Amino acid sequence: MEWYWAFALLVGMVVCLMAIGVPVAFAFITTNFIGIFIFAGVHGFIQVADNSTVLITRFTLGPVPMFILMGALFFHTGLAIRVFDGLDSLFGKLRGRLCYLTVAGGTIFSTLTGSSMANTAMLGSLLVPEMQRRGYNWRMSMGPILGTGGLAMIIPPSALAVLLASVANIDVGRLLIAGFLPGFVLALLYAGMLYLQIVINPAGAPAYDVPPTTWAQKIKFVTFNILPVSLVIFMVIGFIILGLATPTESAACGVLGVAILAVGFRVLKWEAIRTSLSGTVRVAGMVFLIIMNSTVFSQLLAYSGATAGMLDWATGFEVSRLVVLAVMFLILIVLGMFMDATSMMLITVPIFFPLAEALGFDLIWFGLFVLMTLEMAGTTPPFGLLLYVMLGVAPKGTTLLQVANAAIPFLICDLILILILIWEPQLALWLPNLMD
Amino acid sequence: MQSLARAYEGLLNAFKIGAEIVVFLIFFLIVTEVFVRLVGLQPSSYTLGVVEYGLLWFTMLGAPWLVRMKGHVFVDSLVSLLPLIVQYVLAKLVYVICIVCCLFFIYYSTDLLIDAFRSGEMDIRGEAQPLWMLLAPMPVSFAMIAFEFFRFLAGVDTMYTSRTAVRENV
Repeated sequence: MEWYWAFALLVGMVVCLMAIGVPVAFAFITTNFIGIFIFAGVHGFIQVADNSTVLITRFTLGPVPMFILMGALFFHTGLAIRVFDGLDSLFGKLRGRLCYLTVAGGTIFSTLTGSSMANTAMLGSLLVPEMQRRGYNWRMSMGPILGTGGLAMIIPPSALAVLLASVANIDVGRLLIAGFLPGFVLALLYAGMLYLQIVINPAGAPAYDVPPTTWAQKIKFVTFNILPVSLVIFMVIGFIILGLATPTESAACGVLGVAILAVGFRVLKWEAIRTSLSGTVRVAGMVFLIIMNSTVFSQLLAYSGATAGMLDWATGFEVSRLVVLAVMFLILIVLGMFMDATSMMLITVPIFFPLAEALGFDLIWFGLFVLMTLEMAGTTPPFGLLLYVMLGVAPKGTTLLQVANAAIPFLICDLILILILIWEPQLALWLPNLMD
Repeated sequence: MQSLARAYEGLLNAFKIGAEIVVFLIFFLIVTEVFVRLVGLQPSSYTLGVVEYGLLWFTMLGAPWLVRMKGHVFVDSLVSLLPLIVQYVLAKLVYVICIVCCLFFIYYSTDLLIDAFRSGEMDIRGEAQPLWMLLAPMPVSFAMIAFEFFRFLAGVDTMYTSRTAVRENV
């Protein structure tokens, strides 16, 4: 079979099965069984079951349940609210203070949780009602929340980054650390965009009186509410950079860090532990069942000749590698209109990463590029998941179009960061290179 | 019949609690290993293998409960645009596809399990562990997943009650 037919058959089958509503994990399993029957006959069936255990029994995937557990504990114990209260005291009467508070809170939460959806839901439910009450327009109240919700995808700890690195077979620790600086640059770009929006339309975020906070109170809030979380950040990111622990070990240490803080603040309740463990089984279990079959899918693409044929074809054009990068970007954005990040990743990684390697891209850099694009894709209408999370916590009467419109300025910031990364790849690679 | 149903419900919940315990065990073992290493002692060579096996075990133990909770990600953007009768037929087709997938997995994972048990094959991950221990949860778990989809197929419940709701993801 020609490579393009094999490619169309395998990728087309996954996409069609998903389109009729087959759960993503089962769309991959079905494609694998049918694909192996076509390319290897009935004797290949046992390989589908045998190889399904290969990827998810790798130690490198350990951070996924640990990061999810860490984020769940952080939210369910109420530590997140404490951090938020601490930040709230710092902004004074600044015009648009709730928007800036969103970006600052979202950035700190991103360093403590691995889930962009948890961030968006938390910030949305906390801040949107308050912003509406203070007369912020819908654009100013929802946009920054959608933007910062996505920061969790690139700022470590990011469960999605661990998945991507494991599936693409690149260094988990390096990819996690690569997102650190670009994540903070993105937060600054968001703050800049907010400033610009407020200058253009000051009525969008009216100033209002807040009870004055003395410096002593501010220092107290920072010392007791914000500074303690640096322990967790150090136990995750610091341990990896200093080489004290592998990413899996540092993720478990992060859980321990959150537990220590919760004990310190006397908020570690049995109910919070149970809810967090249950949430971890739910989210990580669902993702792991999907990726169980991704190895077989990649092997099928390679065995059928689709990967090699596609690589020869794509690298045979006399075009700049940036054009190929742009095409990959567009494919992910279009897929993101209909699919969740994990599914998109599993379909495209076996094709995109060999192609990126053949074109001479640094794979850690490319991994970050894919994460950034996935973040943007999650915020694209009509079906970007973050839009629906936002819609779920937005006031009654909010339309999807309003949510999508509010996200546009922040999508522009994402695009600017991608361009900066293309122009200066060291922004992403400097920290990982320090680990050498 | 009712006692059989109660026993099954108990098993489903026991598996879910088992999955939670495995997640906690993974956390505990890793943290202990880091601590032991930092104080200069020799960490256990079994940790790597147990954690790696644990990743599959918690996935398999929690999988039937996940179907019951309608926790699987599916794309509903296109199907939701179709007439209700077509949605109904497609939903039934989806359940059949999922059940067939599970049956394949039950058959071939049982085959692998029996083979690993008979041959006494060892899996080297830090320390040698019997391979059958890795494969042990798969046939039972897929049988229970198949049963959960069969419940949907029989009309006891539907997976698509919350078509427009956002399902959790990373």
